[in-house]
Amino acid sequence: MNKIGNTRIAFTQSLMEIAEYDPKTVLVCADSVLVVKGNPYIDKYPDRFFDFGIAEQNAVNCAAGMAACGLIPFVATYAGFITMRACEQVRTFVAYPGLNVKFVGANGGISAGEREGVTHQFFEDIGIMRTIPGITVVVPADPSQVSQATKAIHKVYGPAYLRIGSGRDPIVDIDIPFELGKVRVLKENGYDVALFTNGFVINRTLKAADVLKQEGINAIVIDVHTLKPLDKEAITKILQRTEAAVTVEDHNIIGGLGSAITELSAEELPTPIIRIGLKDTYPRSGKPDPLLDYYEIGVADIIKAAKKVMQKREQRHQK
Amino acid sequence: MNDNIEELKELARLIRIDIVTMIYKAGDGHPAPALSVADLITALYFNIMRIDPQKPNWEERDRFILSKGHACPALYAALARKGYFPHSDLTGLRSLESHLQGHPDMNKTPGVDATAGSLGNGVSIGLGMILASRLLGKDFFTYVITGDGEIEEGVVWEAAMSAKKYKANKLIVFVDNNGFQSSGPIEKVSGLYPILPKWQAFGWHCQEIDGHNFAEIIQAANNAKANIEQPSLILAHTVKGQGVPFMIGDNSWHKRVPTKEQFKQAMIALGGEYNE
Repeated sequence: MNKIGNTRIAFTQSLMEIAEYDPKTVLVCADSVLVVKGNPYIDKYPDRFFDFGIAEQNAVNCAAGMAACGLIPFVATYAGFITMRACEQVRTFVAYPGLNVKFVGANGGISAGEREGVTHQFFEDIGIMRTIPGITVVVPADPSQVSQATKAIHKVYGPAYLRIGSGRDPIVDIDIPFELGKVRVLKENGYDVALFTNGFVINRTLKAADVLKQEGINAIVIDVHTLKPLDKEAITKILQRTEAAVTVEDHNIIGGLGSAITELSAEELPTPIIRIGLKDTYPRSGKPDPLLDYYEIGVADIIKAAKKVMQKREQRHQK
Repeated sequence: MNDNIEELKELARLIRIDIVTMIYKAGDGHPAPALSVADLITALYFNIMRIDPQKPNWEERDRFILSKGHACPALYAALARKGYFPHSDLTGLRSLESHLQGHPDMNKTPGVDATAGSLGNGVSIGLGMILASRLLGKDFFTYVITGDGEIEEGVVWEAAMSAKKYKANKLIVFVDNNGFQSSGPIEKVSGLYPILPKWQAFGWHCQEIDGHNFAEIIQAANNAKANIEQPSLILAHTVKGQGVPFMIGDNSWHKRVPTKEQFKQAMIALGGEYNE
């Protein structure tokens, strides 16, 4: 059973730590202060909190105006309302001018949206943000990683997108520090197959690696938390050794981690890869674990994909 | 009040010549919407705003956002004549090697305070600037010019609500009410009218002026600056294509390039030079 933490609280607590030493940091919400558990921040920094109501396009534009004058706004609300409702404002008025605005999107993935249904399950956010030039895109693993990632994106000037969850988020019991733009190798059983993963499905991937090991297949599990900039060098080196990979993410298989890895592979080192994720369909309401299983983002699915991709590699070697 | 009205009229005439010349030479652009805001922009840059072209990034400067970014030839001409960059740069409009983009870009063109042009966004960006100024202890006004059709965008009214909440009294918005949008007259395309009661209902300080009368423009700006409780809306009645008679009343000049003969006619109307 996974331990559960809260990535929303982790974000707000980190923002409070940042606010302590950086007076230019502000929190921007769109009637979303309860979403990001922001009340302790407001109590401490009432003048550095702005709520623009249920009006995300306005919130993003105001953040752009603030950043143009030197503030560092963290715009925090549901992932889809930033990346879809206010997509044009993110792209044209923040990313294009390269303004120092940080976006924090909650309910990232179908499992974090869980019982809310499709309106509040966001599985396109990473794909959308990846296609916009100039945005750093981060999918942290758990509360501890969210905390480190929040501080990391604050340190780097420019637009960034950070994905957080529902507030009932699985904790990954591996203590490797977060470094922006660098993958984390979470498990190195061997190089029979690479399992690239990120976000709230990491424990599933680790579990799959354990089962594979019992069956004599030694996998390497890599947390690719930063989608942009992508750690191309590290990923390519791993692909060179395994020549077979599976990507595991809580996102549409189009646009996210699966796309990032296959695009890199196609250009640098064509390799058989199977993408595990939401298969370009709309999900439904449900508790996180059964929901992920239902949409074939389960441990068994990862194991099956690992074996299949290894077969593909062997078939290729035989040709 | 600064009494440079004759000087402003002459500058606006020169800026109109620049607008038509730029678009003629570029072979692309929006002449009539630029001509309708030429007087507002001239008044802002040569009378109303506290700015210094030698210090385009001065933190205490007043800000200007041309929310109807397609009218940027008017802005570029004003910036050049104010001294932000050489007047000769104007001929490069929309070309690959020029800093003058088809819509304003804050990182490419000196003096441009905000990237703008996709419609509806300037008011909220301006509000963000005012909120930042309070926190940073910088004392400046932010002026925005939006089109009339542009305020059909929902984000404008999102910003109108927030500006009231924050009593953003240093946010001063001009609506360039020339009565036309891209595909035709406002009243045929949308249900926008009446404009002023809407802003009044949103809690803004509202005024209505002739957008080609410098005394009225300056007086309205002064009235707006004196209001310490509310954001300000100045509904400026303007003429699309003002200064070039054959463009007035013909909305095809929303985006169109004059022929050689039309360019000559425009220059005759504006008192500009042309080569036979």
